[in-house]
Amino acid sequence: MQNRGAFAATLLTTLLFSGIAQAEYSAGDELKVLQGFKAGGGSDALAQLTQPFLRESLGVEFVNEYLPGATGGIAWTRLAKQAPNDGSVISITNTPMLMTNYLMNDAINYSIDELTPIANVVTDPGVIVVPKESPYQTVEDFFAAAEERPGQITVGNSGVGGDDFFSTIMIEKATGLSFQKVPFQGDGPSATAALGGKIDASFNNLGNVYGHIRSGDLRPLAVFTRERLEVLPDVPTLVEKDIDVVAGSSRGYSAPAGIPDQARQELIAAFEALKDDEEFQQTAQERAMNLDILTGDAYAQMMQDMEEQFAEIWDEIKDEVNE
Amino acid sequence: MENLVLVGLTNVLSFTNIALILGGTLLGLFVGAMPGLSATMALALLLPLTFGMDPATGLSMLASLYVGASYGGSIAAILLRTPGTPSAAATVLDGFPLSQQGQAGKALGISLFASFVGGLMSGIALLTAAPLLGVLVLKFGPIELFAIAVLGITIIGSLSQGSVVSGLLSGALGLLVSTVGMDLITGTPRMTFGNINLFSGIEFTVALIGLFSIPQALVLIENAHGSQKIASRITDRLMPRLGEIRHLLPNIFRSGGIGIVTGLIPGTGGDTASWFAYNEAKRFAGDKSRFGKGDIAGVAAPEAANNAVVGGALIPTIALGIPGSSSTAILLGALMVQGILPGPNLLTDYGDVTYTLIWAVIFANVGLLAVGLLFTRLCVGVTRIPDSFVACAIITLCVVGAFAINNSLFEVGLMLGFGLFGYWMNKAGVSSAPMVIGLILGPVMETSFQQSMLIGQGNPGIFLTSPIAVVLLCVVAFSVLQATPFFRWLRDALCPRAQAE
Repeated sequence: MQNRGAFAATLLTTLLFSGIAQAEYSAGDELKVLQGFKAGGGSDALAQLTQPFLRESLGVEFVNEYLPGATGGIAWTRLAKQAPNDGSVISITNTPMLMTNYLMNDAINYSIDELTPIANVVTDPGVIVVPKESPYQTVEDFFAAAEERPGQITVGNSGVGGDDFFSTIMIEKATGLSFQKVPFQGDGPSATAALGGKIDASFNNLGNVYGHIRSGDLRPLAVFTRERLEVLPDVPTLVEKDIDVVAGSSRGYSAPAGIPDQARQELIAAFEALKDDEEFQQTAQERAMNLDILTGDAYAQMMQDMEEQFAEIWDEIKDEVNE
Repeated sequence: MENLVLVGLTNVLSFTNIALILGGTLLGLFVGAMPGLSATMALALLLPLTFGMDPATGLSMLASLYVGASYGGSIAAILLRTPGTPSAAATVLDGFPLSQQGQAGKALGISLFASFVGGLMSGIALLTAAPLLGVLVLKFGPIELFAIAVLGITIIGSLSQGSVVSGLLSGALGLLVSTVGMDLITGTPRMTFGNINLFSGIEFTVALIGLFSIPQALVLIENAHGSQKIASRITDRLMPRLGEIRHLLPNIFRSGGIGIVTGLIPGTGGDTASWFAYNEAKRFAGDKSRFGKGDIAGVAAPEAANNAVVGGALIPTIALGIPGSSSTAILLGALMVQGILPGPNLLTDYGDVTYTLIWAVIFANVGLLAVGLLFTRLCVGVTRIPDSFVACAIITLCVVGAFAINNSLFEVGLMLGFGLFGYWMNKAGVSSAPMVIGLILGPVMETSFQQSMLIGQGNPGIFLTSPIAVVLLCVVAFSVLQATPFFRWLRDALCPRAQAE
């Protein structure tokens, strides 16, 4: 079924961009993309955003293969362990899930060393939101309340192992505060619980709650970025408050380790070109996707830093989480 | 606001949109009728096709597919004893006996009419109450969801035909199987035996296809050498009689209401609603003995409910951007692909698109009645094929459906395993329906319980802080108590006259 869906999508993109594709990519004229989540999800949205543009510049046909399960673990295991490393197979890699998967579960045994990171494309920055009736007007109010009642302020996250879960812990470590963490099955339910006042705050991602912020139903207290965001100029970053936490949920592309250097360079160049593609920028903006293009070694560095950070955090807290 | 409602109506009334709504409904019927292909999967399949369309057009087509599939599921349920979609599982109980008695046409007609009324009710509810009802959704947090799930579990008692003990056993098995996979709160893998394919748990659809379809196919093969086929032929008229309809209307309205409310609550969809409605229809019925043996009320209730879910589930989706079911989650994805951010501004900033979608739901239900009357007859073709072929076709569709869920052979093996187990349960006289209830509600109950305990700092008293939860839990306590001998003893002791009745 989903194969047929992918086929229909390919057919449609073929119809939409019916210019004759030139075979420029050295590793063949077909590029298989392993997706670790179901069709129609966030990873698929990234595929629909970038692949029509890459199809033009690389001159390849994209074939999406959906292998959902184990929060992406099945697709990434396949990529690292079984996929041919000739440059014909790549995968959409979501961080921090990509690393937390194997850090947290012994049964998942791929690692980022078995991958060739190509490019990060989007990052949905983390944000603290509270219901509009909440007594906390600023992030200072919120932290003060947590100081007064340690471990009693309830904070929703998208699930153990997700970016919000880890950013909560990072904030706890940086401030010495402690929150009551309540995991939900994804960002949506976590935001809903905050909307209904069932939890004191939700640590979420901007893309999921922006509509509620704009309508005034949720109040953003702080964003987890280096600089303030253009769309939320009045919302402070945690960095401004001397809390060095920058976090978000990112999606990009990676290939198996050891692909031909030429193929790697060509892929990286194609993503680099997206940085200057105005049409691409505009499409991304229309779809409310926050571009954060980091290619090649920079993406590899980003993954390594995250892995190090999360391994350390998980080492500290795993006994507590597993009781 | 009024203005946007009219803009939506005029949008829908274009030739392209009407054609696509009819096409979507028809496609939904086909997909719904095929076991293993759920509305959710069909929507996911069609989603890429809408990328190039105008947002209003694309969404109208997806919504009508959803409506069509909600009825289509009952065709296979009635003719083949194989629910075409998970939400048609309850329809099997009375629909299949009816078709065995040569009343397949009547069963399908009732199903179509109930679907139409349920769907229309929910469409109108959606149109009038979306902005108002949206507020209610937020009242359901983890604490209230837990109470809902517990209430749902009490359905098991009344679902088990024959021995209550074997029904409870089956339900407990379902709950047990639902715990496979990563613990949602701690991330610890449970009962996965280190197999990465089990980390996300057992797909409910896999178990459902296996438990309901494979045993049926095996039984068909067993009886293939028997004298003749009994079931699955529409020999009688499809149009229900006015008298029957009038008799069923209270039931249909009640079930439609149940469907709308169930759809409203995030995380519960047609599968839950249809069991709820079936159970309530049975509770309200004067003569309960005919249920499970071919009572038209047992067909009307789940079908009205599962079509009413469509509109109900769209209410939180539209009013708040919170999908009420997995299918509406895909519709929400379709909105996002079109660059429309879900949230309360769907009714304001993107009101023209949203109201077009709402009108499309209403028109799709009208279209459903027409398309259903024309197409359902064609379905008889399925049943003219010899049993052994049908059995092979069912198994093939099961394999394809199970594979399509995650594009993995592992799910196929799992489905076959559930199939053999279901066959054994059949032979042992243990009903598999309670197991399915356990599977659906297990994760909801477990997760919401853990979340509630976290929110309440480990104090179970948290469940008494929510009025909604208290009321629901009281209903649970009552329905459990009234099934025990203690309650009968109490009643006899308190009012001796009741004994005489």
